[in-house]
Amino acid sequence: MTRLTALLVSLVLALVPALAPVGPATAGTSPTALPTSLVVQTTSEPPGLDLTATPASATAAVVFYNLQEALVKVDQHGKLVPWLAERWHTSDNLNYTFFLKGGVRFHNGRAFTAEDVKYVLDRARNPETKHPHQRHYEDIASIHVRDQHTVTITLKKLNTMFLYNLARQGSVMYPREALEQQKSQPVGTGPFILARWERGDRIVLKRNPDYHVKGLPKLDEVTFRFIPDPNAALAALQAGDIDVLAFGLGPESVEVVRRAPSLQVILGQTTNDVILALNNSKKPYADVRVRRAITHAVNKEEIVKGAMFGFGRVLGTNVDPLNPYFVDMAQAVPHSPEKAKQLLAEAGYPNGFDAVLKVPPQYPYTVRTGEVLLGQLAKVGIRVRLEQIEWGQWLDRVYKNADYDMTIIGHAEAWDAGNYANPKYYYRFDSARFQEVYKQAESTLDDGKRRALYHDLQKMMVEEAPVVWLYVYPRLVAAKKGVQGIWKDLPTPSMDLTEVSWAK
Amino acid sequence: MRRYVLRRLGAFVATLGVVSVLVFVVIRVLPGDPALIIMGTEASPEAAAALRRAMGLDRPIPVQYLEWVAGALRGDLGRSIQYDVPVGNLILSRLRVTLPLTLLAALFMTTLALPLGVYAATHQRRLGDYVAMVASQLGIAVPSFWAGLLLILVFAVQLGWTRAGGFDGWQAGIWPGLRSLILPGIALGLIQAAILTRTTRSAVLDVLRADHVRTARAKGLSERVVAWKHVLRNALITIVTILGLQLGQLLAGSIVLENVFYLPGLGRLALGAISARDLPVVQGVVLFVAAVIVTLNFAVDLLYGLLDPRIRYE
Repeated sequence: MTRLTALLVSLVLALVPALAPVGPATAGTSPTALPTSLVVQTTSEPPGLDLTATPASATAAVVFYNLQEALVKVDQHGKLVPWLAERWHTSDNLNYTFFLKGGVRFHNGRAFTAEDVKYVLDRARNPETKHPHQRHYEDIASIHVRDQHTVTITLKKLNTMFLYNLARQGSVMYPREALEQQKSQPVGTGPFILARWERGDRIVLKRNPDYHVKGLPKLDEVTFRFIPDPNAALAALQAGDIDVLAFGLGPESVEVVRRAPSLQVILGQTTNDVILALNNSKKPYADVRVRRAITHAVNKEEIVKGAMFGFGRVLGTNVDPLNPYFVDMAQAVPHSPEKAKQLLAEAGYPNGFDAVLKVPPQYPYTVRTGEVLLGQLAKVGIRVRLEQIEWGQWLDRVYKNADYDMTIIGHAEAWDAGNYANPKYYYRFDSARFQEVYKQAESTLDDGKRRALYHDLQKMMVEEAPVVWLYVYPRLVAAKKGVQGIWKDLPTPSMDLTEVSWAK
Repeated sequence: MRRYVLRRLGAFVATLGVVSVLVFVVIRVLPGDPALIIMGTEASPEAAAALRRAMGLDRPIPVQYLEWVAGALRGDLGRSIQYDVPVGNLILSRLRVTLPLTLLAALFMTTLALPLGVYAATHQRRLGDYVAMVASQLGIAVPSFWAGLLLILVFAVQLGWTRAGGFDGWQAGIWPGLRSLILPGIALGLIQAAILTRTTRSAVLDVLRADHVRTARAKGLSERVVAWKHVLRNALITIVTILGLQLGQLLAGSIVLENVFYLPGLGRLALGAISARDLPVVQGVVLFVAAVIVTLNFAVDLLYGLLDPRIRYE
């Protein structure tokens, strides 16, 4: 080897490390010390950070559990567990006494007390304060502070959802002196403190050194970055700029991530039920035979394969598998184009009809699902035109004014069977029988009896077919290998990072 | 000259007036309710209505408009609904990304397109010309978001030379800031560079056939001096006109690329504000961009006089 070649070779070798892909976004990795910060992608930026003013899941993803917490918590298995209240007691299911956990401090240093509980819940149930879910608190008759750590809440009537409602994102505890800053600088009791919100770019959280659970959180710093484009988000993960793709992993990219040696996929369940909603107040959807015909015409397995690359569980009713009263009704109305045609003929549409299917491309799965549905419905003579409409317009025209024939959307909230008992909801489904049974279920405390009522509700959903329940949207998370502690399922819309850490 | 400037100033104010009314009315007539978007699918109609009242959106549109204009004249563009900060500050902070990005794209565009266009014209129907024309055809055909993704995949994911996107601000220094903007700048400038190459080529070709060029050649000047001194300067009138329009296009194109590279710039601010129906932000950004484009056109008009002394503004 000549001297020149040797020089060239060593030069190239010296350059190689500079050319190699960069390491984790969390710099400062050495063999002994694990990184203590994490960069998490999220799709949409929160429209404000006040959980008592906006029910947006983008807000909950960042703020709920990470910054602010409630008396009761829905854990990662969907179970209700004591949280800021370490236990509670009731003898008549009307008077609940909560015993607050000691040593809990807000981020501003002040101790959390029973007075705060009273203030927060009184404010939530006051119609003047514009809480988005005031109805969750309207059964509260009075709140009585017994001492610093004990508070009794008295209900006007039995409400089986009462404890669950206290675990919702709108029930978080905050200090009254920080009320004005909730929108941009929320103060709570959570494991992290808001460090800064760079509008349009990122939200940075810092570890709360006084967190009331010892040893938590495990990370020192968390950065949420808003990357709406799924391709850009995936590229950022591949390039090492971010550590976790929390909401932006499309089903089409799961294989790519699986094959990458440095990445992992987390697959789980959500409560996000994707439905083909029908406008029950409009012809021909007012006819139950037509609605059942549409259900028969839809091949849900094919949709999950074609639109979701096989990810997602086929759904039979609006009660999803994470619900304790879930009954598998996926096969209750089997796929049968013949049966669909027969029902359509009976209803007076032997040649089918024309329909417009409105889908919001902000959620790409709605468009893809619509494209598969189009062909399936055409086979029974229903000629569907797919119309993509922007999210703001969807909310206004479809959701608010029910100006639509069919639409596809995911309903993320858990325990939302009540929407079918509300004739003003955009399905415009109005069944006195369903409303009656739902009301009973809401006021029945006995678990066995309530379960039976929920079975009835699910049976009725199948019979009446107010909408077509398609599939449960899967939880798809991609992360660098070594990130551990991310929830597998998502029973509540929080990206809880309390126990997330780096391994190896 | 003074009368010309005054007339243009009048046109400037009138244009902004029309733009302000248009954007104000259009975004309010469009279906889509800011309160509903904030509240989402799970809120009660009462809560949404209360929020609408709190934002003052239940009042007559003319009243809202006059209030907004009065504020804008005092330099107050209102407060963002989504972000809860003044719109003026938002626009200023976003310019720190969008302005350098646009300038970088413009720099890339002109340094690539002008020499290439002149070269292609002076080597018409030769190999270099064909290569330049095919390349520019390709540049026009490739959508900028796709070019952006391709650049990310090659330079960020495969080679790891740059980051896949994002912008950490200028506090770390000029170079780290610029580094985040190079790929999007190239992707943004690509289409416009292709267009400018073609425009330059045909403008130069036109002038090459003019009498004064024949005279210059007859004087025995070298081809290079003829091309750069006698041809380009005369072709510049056409080129500068296109260039002025292209700067506006770059500003508009930044919406797409700021999304692909998740840069916190003006384009992404506008896009996010439209989908969130953040009315004050949409109005502010549109008004600002309109003002920039009208100013650019004005500057182009003034440039004509410098480039061609025969043009007088009276």
